[in-house]
Amino acid sequence: MANGGVVRRKVTVQWIAAALLLAMSWRIALAQDANAKPAFATPASQSKGKSFKSLDEGVQDLKKQAVDLNRDLFLLEEQLLFPANTQVAVFVSMDVGRYFALDSVQLKLDDKNVTNYLYTKREVDALDKGGVQRLYVGNLKAGKHELVAVFTGKGPESRDYKRGASLVFDKGIGPKYIELSITDRQKKLQPEFVVKEWE
Amino acid sequence: MRATQWMVPIGLGVLVAAAAVRPAAGADLTGVQAPDFVLKSLSGANLRLSEYRGEVVMLSFWASWCGECRAQLRGLATLYARYHDAGADLLTVNLDRTRREAKETAGSLHIAYPVLLDTEGKVGALYRVDSMPVLILIDRDGVVRKVFAGYRRGTEEQYLESVRDLLRQ
Repeated sequence: MANGGVVRRKVTVQWIAAALLLAMSWRIALAQDANAKPAFATPASQSKGKSFKSLDEGVQDLKKQAVDLNRDLFLLEEQLLFPANTQVAVFVSMDVGRYFALDSVQLKLDDKNVTNYLYTKREVDALDKGGVQRLYVGNLKAGKHELVAVFTGKGPESRDYKRGASLVFDKGIGPKYIELSITDRQKKLQPEFVVKEWE
Repeated sequence: MRATQWMVPIGLGVLVAAAAVRPAAGADLTGVQAPDFVLKSLSGANLRLSEYRGEVVMLSFWASWCGECRAQLRGLATLYARYHDAGADLLTVNLDRTRREAKETAGSLHIAYPVLLDTEGKVGALYRVDSMPVLILIDRDGVVRKVFAGYRRGTEEQYLESVRDLLRQ
């Protein structure tokens, strides 16, 4: 009877030992699996990163193409709307500007008002720093034409100031470029408005 | 006799339906690039809309004779004071015929933001303003995102929500 009890206990211990072994092997297998996962995950994340990179590059390419296309269209539009043989462009520049704070320019071509431009502080600052603004571009047939520019703003001692300048020019077969230049006349402490043709 | 009895309510119904169907001022501008303009402000400076690119712009159209406009401007002033540092700007376009009317109203409302003078109504026409007040919200890219035509008490909540949304983007 006693022997039978011992044998039964031995069998129970063997079963428990076997169960423990199984559990341990299961844990080891799981741990190996967990260690193994990053080895498989790394290439996947790398490929994801690559695909994001290539997508980003694709977007950048598209943006560049859109910018290029926009530029080409702009040039084409300009060529079609203002062909070189009839094109007239008027530019504004400012040198120093101590005696004159520009507010607006009204431009007339052959007595016809073609533009009336109001200047913001930022635009005046840009002119002050040497920027040249294209005020107007249009078409004129060959022959004599008259340009009149009326400048308004604040003159010396912050007084309201309005001055006109004009130019009679000959439009040939090539494009015509005209500059409206605002400069300071130091001797008279007054601004000076000059209209000149670019050669 | 019966027919004439029905004509008045039917006529009224048609009118109400027409008013409801009629698009709000500037509504068809939603989603398009806000038309650029430059106007002289009450302070004397010229302001150009495109120079506000990168900021959320609240563009309000008003006139001195419009009572609702005054209420709206008060609400907008609070919004402007609160969110100006966060990148929100307020430009108000006055559609009165003379500078004097705009100046008087702006003085009585203690306006501290730019008041642009559109005495010829050119910018109003550009934005298809046919009723007042009109508030147009423009995002940082210069696109019209919301158009509010008219004003009622409590509309500020909608303004607030929309401005916050645009600032978050």
